[in-house]
Amino acid sequence: MNAQMLSLNQLKQIALHREAFIYYIFFFVLFFFAIVLHDTAFLTFSNFMNIVKQTAPLTIMAVGLTFALAVGHIDLSIGSVVALSALVGALLLQHTGIPLAVLGALLVGVTVGLINGLLIERLQVSSLLITLGTMGIITGIARQLTNLESVPIINQDFTFLFGSGKVLGMPILLLWTLVIGGCAYIILKKLAAGRHLLAVGGNPVAARAMGIKVTRIRLYALIASSTAAALAGLLYAGRLHGARYTLGEADLLTVIAAVAIGGTSLFGGRACIVGAILGTWLMGIINNGLILSGFSTNEQMIARGVILVIAVAIGVKEIRNG
Amino acid sequence: MVRSSLDQVALELSSIKKSFGGVHALQDVTFTINKGEVVGLLGDNGAGKSTLVKCISGVYAPDSGEIKVNGKAVVIRSPEDARAAGIETVFQDLAMIPEFNIVQNLFLNREIKHKNPILRWLGWLDTKAMTKRARKALNRLNTRIPSYNEQIHNLSGGQRQAIAIARAVNWGADIVIMDEPTAALGVEQSAQVNDLIKVISSQGVAVLLISHNMQHVVETCDRAVVLYQGSSVADVAVAEVTKEDLVGLITGAKKIAA
Amino acid sequence: MTLSRNLQSCNNYNFISKSITFAFTLLVTSFAAPLLAVDFNSITNADKSENIKLSQQQVDSLKSKKLTAALVWHGSSAWVNAVSQGAKETFSRFGIKVVAVTDAQFDPAKQVADLENISVLNPDIILSLSVDSTSTKNSYRNAISNGAKLVLLSNPIEGFIHHQDYVGIVTDDMFGMGKAAAQLTMEALKQSGKLGIIYHDAKYFITNNRDHAFRQALKSAPNIEIIIEKGFVKESETSNIAAAMVLQNPEIEAIYVSWDSAAEGVIEALRSLDRPDIKVITHDLGVNNLLDMATNRNLYGTIADRPYDIGATMAKLGAAAILGQRAAPVTIVPFDKVTKTNITSAWQQAFKKPLPKLLTQALQQ
Ligand SMILES: Nc1ncnc2c1ncn2[C@@H]1O[C@H](COP(=O)(O)OP(=O)(O)O)[C@@H](O)[C@H]1O
Ligand SMILES: [Mg+2]
Repeated sequence: MNAQMLSLNQLKQIALHREAFIYYIFFFVLFFFAIVLHDTAFLTFSNFMNIVKQTAPLTIMAVGLTFALAVGHIDLSIGSVVALSALVGALLLQHTGIPLAVLGALLVGVTVGLINGLLIERLQVSSLLITLGTMGIITGIARQLTNLESVPIINQDFTFLFGSGKVLGMPILLLWTLVIGGCAYIILKKLAAGRHLLAVGGNPVAARAMGIKVTRIRLYALIASSTAAALAGLLYAGRLHGARYTLGEADLLTVIAAVAIGGTSLFGGRACIVGAILGTWLMGIINNGLILSGFSTNEQMIARGVILVIAVAIGVKEIRNG
Repeated sequence: MVRSSLDQVALELSSIKKSFGGVHALQDVTFTINKGEVVGLLGDNGAGKSTLVKCISGVYAPDSGEIKVNGKAVVIRSPEDARAAGIETVFQDLAMIPEFNIVQNLFLNREIKHKNPILRWLGWLDTKAMTKRARKALNRLNTRIPSYNEQIHNLSGGQRQAIAIARAVNWGADIVIMDEPTAALGVEQSAQVNDLIKVISSQGVAVLLISHNMQHVVETCDRAVVLYQGSSVADVAVAEVTKEDLVGLITGAKKIAA
Repeated sequence: MTLSRNLQSCNNYNFISKSITFAFTLLVTSFAAPLLAVDFNSITNADKSENIKLSQQQVDSLKSKKLTAALVWHGSSAWVNAVSQGAKETFSRFGIKVVAVTDAQFDPAKQVADLENISVLNPDIILSLSVDSTSTKNSYRNAISNGAKLVLLSNPIEGFIHHQDYVGIVTDDMFGMGKAAAQLTMEALKQSGKLGIIYHDAKYFITNNRDHAFRQALKSAPNIEIIIEKGFVKESETSNIAAAMVLQNPEIEAIYVSWDSAAEGVIEALRSLDRPDIKVITHDLGVNNLLDMATNRNLYGTIADRPYDIGATMAKLGAAAILGQRAAPVTIVPFDKVTKTNITSAWQQAFKKPLPKLLTQALQQ
């Protein structure tokens, strides 16, 4: 009896948790479309695989951004890193093999993260301003790099690995999402590193007083964020058989919205990887569902906004009522 | 209850000096704390109390002077040095992460890692072990806590103070420094903290207590050291003086040879 | 499809100016990889949209099939809306249901996703304009793997084989449009005078061809002298270019500029220089410039394509393909020479919608 009470209590606590918010929204929207679109292919396995594949680069970006947000930084440069890394990867593929191309592309991410982090710490300027600046610089470099031309990729191993491949019947893009998401989940929830990350975001003064190397941790978080974006760039390049300077440009706001809906605080200290992934999938589902519903594109835009607002309202209400 | 000078000295400060540009925040601070003793550090605003605490806890390096812990001279250049020397500080703002629960805060940056060597290398946390030790540590201080999963920002000020003190003691500190631990607390919670201080000193921990509250000092401290314009001007057994005496020393109206 | 429509639409929908230049540069690059466009020969040999007709019997047979169609566009604008409108109304006459409309926002990644999304609906007909032939190719292939008939607008897709992979391409007669613009210029100058040209100085198939055809056709009017030519990359540059051009050559009598929203800058410059005597000739229909034309100011005439007919033609080709009919590789849709006298009918022709009130009022004054 007592044990039962306890578990009930625990259940309630879980249900009331801020992070639970995304589950309400996610399943509400899913349910909504499942009913409205019951006579279409919405509720089919292949449709969901489509959504997962489409949102794979976004989920990876969202996971990375969660790290930056966890320490209390915003990283606006991720969209531009996607483009630059994809271009660098595609260009390198014309001269070398996959390992060097991938390394070069990821190095773009590491470097940008490092520069972002060092500038923020040295100049003591908000991450918003610094990454807004680097976003512009990187976008410019990406445009300059190939003079706005797109770079095709013909290496089939690459497009398999980062795009169209399947492993044990599972789309490789889903695998990427699960592996990166899983690693991030473990780091944030199970490892000391994640604890320190959140401590730095929650109260940097206290974290410093307890001997945590705040500056270094913030640097790592920004590197994680832009390196994830670089990986997202490779996934885009693999999926599209080529790179172009516009990749990722439109994704920044979607990713920020997805991460925020997923329960990660935009001001540091609270992070939820599962929420970030469900958040991006939610965006994908809404997009997909609206297209399948046959709305015109203007109507789709309106409906997307309405659904988001309703979903958020319902999620908030559920949490309040417990 | 004044302990004799035969007691073992836990912390010995001699001629600590620290200035910021032209401001001589600490001119000459000399006093000792014995094991199991609670020493109140008194002084007017700007007397140098906070600066002294920061010198001992490694936030500032003193310009000159010597710090001995358990008879051995130590060099403290960082909070880690202080901790390594056995000095823990309960900061005024408590240095807690509001979103973290009790266990997470207690073990911040001293997490217990998994026993498996590979997982340990990765920094995998052993949450069970930490919860167990947290329970023990808080029991030792007779502190009752609603739930170990409770986030810090849901706790009362007294409970938070208790957690902060438990965290300091939990690390086997020989010396615990507390900066205004009851400043933000009501009467009842202040009393709880006073009890806590007594509990830890009875376990042999030396406590340096910074306080403005005379009543608090009189109730909990064995001795009082008074800072006046950066110098230690008095070192008295609390039982032998009145509150008025202390106030006189703090304001500089009264003088006793230190 | 005309470039200017996309740009102009951005204005209409109040997108930030950045996205205008973004879309613009993107378009420029997406067609910059050339070789892959409809060429002069295929246009001269092209079928004409008025030849595409379905018999009542064919329509009845289509109606019995309960077919579906999806429209996979590159962007959204008033022009694209008119294409969609033409396609939808034509489809509905055949009992074909449009189950999805998508807008790639000029983003190939988005278009790939759009194609995947509509694929699960298994449409029988897909009408589309590809944003980027290379990166979207696979998704088109998947989308037609279940037998869907693909009708393309303007841009071919790399490696796709006519009849096997797609039904055909529907496009404007860009050579004819350039030539018609030259004829309007001759009319405006009464066969002789001094002309300035403000041309699109970027690798963009459609505008390049129109501008080229314009110059070629002008050769038949020896008394029209091109006294100055200046290129522009962004629409925002045309105002300064035109001002400089007129200051340097005050004797100038007419200016040709590549498309309507670029012409807005030219007309603005002429207004501030107080030169209502200089005639402007361009392509496409835009409300602002038509107002100028209606009030007898600078715009003499413009060449307008027919987006509604483009959509309707695409729909007919797709439907006919279902019945096994084979389309020509390229089908062209006619255009209209527009001057003050036929604004109303040309607008009607292009959009199958009444003229905006503002314009009607201006014309009545
Ligand atoms: N970082 C600093 N820079 C300059 N002056 C300081 C600094 N910290 C403290 N002081 C000065 O040193 C003196 C002692 O200050 P403090 O130790 O805060 O006193 P208390 O804590 O006893 O009120 C004051 O005059 C104060 O202005
Ligand atoms: Mg102070």
